[in-house]
Amino acid sequence: MAFNVLVVDDSAVMRQMVVRTLKMSGLPLGTVLEAANGEEGLFALQEHWVDLLLLDINMPVMNGEEMLRRLRAAPETENLPVIVVSTEGSETRLAALHELGAAIVRKPFAPETLRDTILRITGVNDAEYYGAVPVASDDGDF
Amino acid sequence: MPSTMVQSLSRATTATFEELALLFPEHQLTDEQTAAPLGLAVSVDFRGPFNGRLVLEVSTSILPLAASNMLGEHEGKQPQLQRDALGELANVICGNVLPVIAGQEAVFHLSAPKVHEDATAVSREHDAAQACTEFGVEDGRARVALFVFGDAEAMLAVTGA
Repeated sequence: MAFNVLVVDDSAVMRQMVVRTLKMSGLPLGTVLEAANGEEGLFALQEHWVDLLLLDINMPVMNGEEMLRRLRAAPETENLPVIVVSTEGSETRLAALHELGAAIVRKPFAPETLRDTILRITGVNDAEYYGAVPVASDDGDF
Repeated sequence: MPSTMVQSLSRATTATFEELALLFPEHQLTDEQTAAPLGLAVSVDFRGPFNGRLVLEVSTSILPLAASNMLGEHEGKQPQLQRDALGELANVICGNVLPVIAGQEAVFHLSAPKVHEDATAVSREHDAAQACTEFGVEDGRARVALFVFGDAEAMLAVTGA
């Protein structure tokens, strides 16, 4: 299985960093789409199916919280795995996002933090991606 | 300058440089680092319980490495992307330090980072920096300053500093 991912962030640099992190994480990637705000993100989702959304909060036109609320109100995206990648530090705001079913990754983030969060929120474990780890037989000759 | 605010700014800056740019700030500057000019500045304005600006100044010598580490080797050679990468560093520092200073319930709105070739263009003579920290990076240095606009009493009331 390859992940189709949508990255929504008003910073082109941060989108590039997130995509680079995704590639470095070893996760099998399918199509990676990008959008610069929530409105663009919603348009992209009308045209493409994605398995995962990586979403910033503070953006012009439509912020990430508003986009997330709209996604949860639509039957086809109400269960879409969403990871909020943001510098947002307000506990009030983060709690609201958590209630909407989003996982949170704070910037700055280590690549493995993002990878582990993706695995957790999608319900995929490491073995499904990297294959079963061969276990050495204990009846060998020594 | 409240020492806790300086510590918060220093921690946020160190964490951002280390995790985002894979650069490790040195708080004891070498002579070479001290002598390196601060050739580029980026500012991020913020609005919230108090308003202000975070300014990050760096030696231009560290830009290619920072951008390469953040975006890739090829991208790190492009001057515009180097500036954008610096802007993102400032944005993340600002986003991380404000909740530490103002409390976890405070909501701030950050503007897009602005790059300035001349660092003096972003300093405001009538506003002293509430916090400032400087450190060495590779063969250059960086300085981060947090300015609060207008009545600093508003900030002190929020932070309890």
